[in-house]
Amino acid sequence: MNNETDIKNKIKSNSSLFTNFVKNAVSASPKVQNNFLDVSTQVALTIQKILEDADLITNLEYKGKDFWSENKCKTSCFVDGGVDKTSIISSAPLSIRTGSYIVKPDAADKNREFFEESMVFLGDLYDPKNELYDFAEDDFDEDQMLNKKKDGARIIFEAVTIVKHILLNRKFDYCFLHGPIEATVMPFTVMGFPTFTKFAVENMLPFYNKNKLNAEARHFIHVYLEALNSIKKSKFPIYGIVETSNSAPYIKNLLFNYKSKGTISEKDFKNTLATIKKYKITDSHLLEIILKSGQAIKPLEIKKQIKGFSVTSGSAWEDKMDSFPSVHIGYIKINDHSAPIRIESLNPSKNLIKDYEYILATARLLPNYGFPVGLNVVDKFAKIPNWMSKASRKYYATHLLKQAIRSKDQNTISLAVKILSKKVRSWRNRPLGGLAR
Amino acid sequence: MNTKKWKSIGTVLGETNISEFYFSLKNYKAKKGDIITTESKIPSSEGNVIPVTVWGKISSIESSNVFFPTEAAQELTNENIDIRDTILPTTRDELICKVIILGFTLKDNLKLMPLNYPVRPAATVSYPSSEDVEALLISDLDSEHPLFIGSLLARDAVKIKIDADNLVSRHVSIFGMSGSGKTVMVRRIMDELLKKKYPMLVLDIHGDYLGFIQKQKKLYPNNEVKLFYPNLSVSSDDKEIIYTLIDKLGNSLTDPQKDFLSSLLEKVKYESGSLLKYIELLVRKAREYASDSSKSFKNIRPASMYVVVRSLGQVAKKLKNMEQTNFRHRQKMSKLKFEELPDAATEPEKIINKGQLSILYLKGYENLPASAIVSILLENLFKHRQEVEEEIPPFLTIIEEAHNFIPSRSEDKDNLPSVDTIRKVITEGRKFGTGIMIISQRPSRLDETIASQCNSQIVFRMVNQKDQRATTRDSETLSVDDSKQLPNLANGQGIISGQVVNFSLPVQIKFDAELINDDIGNENFISAVENWDDKESVKQRKKFAKDFSNITSIDRRRPN
Repeated sequence: MNNETDIKNKIKSNSSLFTNFVKNAVSASPKVQNNFLDVSTQVALTIQKILEDADLITNLEYKGKDFWSENKCKTSCFVDGGVDKTSIISSAPLSIRTGSYIVKPDAADKNREFFEESMVFLGDLYDPKNELYDFAEDDFDEDQMLNKKKDGARIIFEAVTIVKHILLNRKFDYCFLHGPIEATVMPFTVMGFPTFTKFAVENMLPFYNKNKLNAEARHFIHVYLEALNSIKKSKFPIYGIVETSNSAPYIKNLLFNYKSKGTISEKDFKNTLATIKKYKITDSHLLEIILKSGQAIKPLEIKKQIKGFSVTSGSAWEDKMDSFPSVHIGYIKINDHSAPIRIESLNPSKNLIKDYEYILATARLLPNYGFPVGLNVVDKFAKIPNWMSKASRKYYATHLLKQAIRSKDQNTISLAVKILSKKVRSWRNRPLGGLAR
Repeated sequence: MNTKKWKSIGTVLGETNISEFYFSLKNYKAKKGDIITTESKIPSSEGNVIPVTVWGKISSIESSNVFFPTEAAQELTNENIDIRDTILPTTRDELICKVIILGFTLKDNLKLMPLNYPVRPAATVSYPSSEDVEALLISDLDSEHPLFIGSLLARDAVKIKIDADNLVSRHVSIFGMSGSGKTVMVRRIMDELLKKKYPMLVLDIHGDYLGFIQKQKKLYPNNEVKLFYPNLSVSSDDKEIIYTLIDKLGNSLTDPQKDFLSSLLEKVKYESGSLLKYIELLVRKAREYASDSSKSFKNIRPASMYVVVRSLGQVAKKLKNMEQTNFRHRQKMSKLKFEELPDAATEPEKIINKGQLSILYLKGYENLPASAIVSILLENLFKHRQEVEEEIPPFLTIIEEAHNFIPSRSEDKDNLPSVDTIRKVITEGRKFGTGIMIISQRPSRLDETIASQCNSQIVFRMVNQKDQRATTRDSETLSVDDSKQLPNLANGQGIISGQVVNFSLPVQIKFDAELINDDIGNENFISAVENWDDKESVKQRKKFAKDFSNITSIDRRRPN
């Protein structure tokens, strides 16, 4: 079987590419649909050639039993955040927590593993006295900003949790974050995005700008950058691990590097980028086909915060975005049937292969899902369970209704009831027909 | 009761009701079957809210580790990896206990009352002290005559007592597989009742209770322990039983032959005495009628009469054989003093007397004659209890291997005379003080009416599902959770339910080692064979057999 046929077969049997194909079938033109297989194959072959030319593909070793008996002395920390998704008219309850799962396999039982609730916030984003965001000058209190505020809070909490471990001088061999080590900050650069309160910043980064916590210093961009700079100084390796990549930063940067070296022409570069965009091809799709189980792609140094977008253009944050550290991005393919996972770090790895082999081994403990089991564990720990969300919703509903009843005004009470019974148009309330009683 | 000293062991979960709740348990702080409490509040009949202590029994415990994915187990197995070497969490087991609510108590009053308001979710669950649990059980039992039988399975320090009054009058069934602890339980109860001088009659097929005779002087100096062997004594009142015995034990008879047998029993009068002698008399008489073509039996041919004669001979032979077998067993235990069972009709006091334990040793007897013996015996004793001038005190009859005496209809062993007798005694026993304890390893093979009359059950290990179903069917107080536990019980562990305890309790029965019959071997047949040496006579026989075999082989040799 030649390489092309091999790649084509892989595409056919590959679930994430198939999903992408279905997406294209819905939105793209018939021509795009028809060419999908051929184009994907050709892009994959070309990228594979470049990766081989640059010697970026490497084979990792996994010897289950032997690996773990050699590495049981290592201490690892896994970090993840959880956000409550509840929303209710008239209030914006926000519950966020980040959890850490710290484990040293060969330690005695009581010292073997720790589950820490590292950061917790419970409050209402509509409450002007909340302790997280400063709403003194908040112009944007619409619903869409709520999600942005929740995301911003989660990202900062996760980063600050790692900073906290560094500040406490924890002796970890590895630290892993569920998600990118550096998030794209562009969405938080919009005008009017609220700053954090003094109280929040002082608690998150006690060492930061102690004397002049002005509004600018308390903005997400500044606080996050400060946190990332602290993470960069860590003595132990810290990796952010992303399950699936919805963009193609690695491929784009790879092509860019080759264009810069003059190996590929400006025209080919631009056309290929356009094709990748048109067919919605991502790093995950291509590397899933190119890599074999247990193979990894050595990291490339990539700038995540790119200035020049319309939202940031000309804003006060444009220069600041340049100060964000670049990220080293690589991929590991854990098994034959799932997409490779993305590995991010702020510093270049000192022992790349050993570190990647450690990640591979932790992911092989979930042989089908193919993701580091420690992150799966901390994900379950940090997740805000449904019953908690339900409880907070019930609490707010009762509060609203009590207030309405206290007013003794019939209209207010009926309005409160309407607000609370959001599912007026649910199928259960539809008018019955025929002889139905 | 100092509730402040009780240790907190968990928290009540989510939704609760008045009969059960779930709670999250701290690791290793309680076991299945443990009694626990939680503080709650209920509305009183006066409209106040009063604090109460709710008591419950842990009926099941489930453990899960949500942080341990199934996939990981697959990898650990395939790669032979020790979980302790990996980063997988090993200490996050979540324990959820299901609790059956027993009731609530008020401060300073340990009488359990039914709960009519749900317990509070998120309330603390406590582990009461052993003394307090014991005090609650005793207070709740409210018994004038408690009998000590063992300790709570989950807590050795909590002694369990059952109510003797309910035990002796309202009937008890004891079920469990062979070797599960039934006999240990019965011996325990007998020990306690003997100390209270309560008369007992034991129908012992295997000789499990002969230990009481051996240890009588030492352990029960104030009691009389008698050991009887059956005497098939009958009177003219027992015509039906005699007919059944002859009909079932002898050859099968045609209708005219049965008519002849029936008429024969009518004609040949017999006051009372040995059944064997009566049968011999019947044989003589039948032969006479057959030989002179008696006018009394015009319609029956002599040939038919001879068939009946032969059949009666057969019955007599079988009965003699059974007597002989029983005799041989008795001889093996030469140290024990066996007495012939007195006539229960005329001398009941020799069998039932204050402080006396009577053991009827039935080994060697087939079901039918044993059933006949028991039927006649119980019928007579019951009559004496029914009379206005009672000749014997109330007593308890203990029926071992009860399926032999009271088989279910589905067993197709109809007409066992003991079924009707025991059914009558068990139904009316409460009025006349003739309690019955039935013991069986096959409850599904027991007569349903009789089994369901037992108001208390003590169940030991039981694996057969048919038997498990029969046990819960016959019991009003044994829960489904209890029955699930039955296959996993160890020797001597049982679940007591019914009127002797108020609510079902898993119990470790106290083992009375001194009550074991020393003369019955320990069933260690492998060792017996390992140490086997032929007797001298057998050795001689084998030696000569070889010589004789040589003679035969030479004799058969072909001449050259």
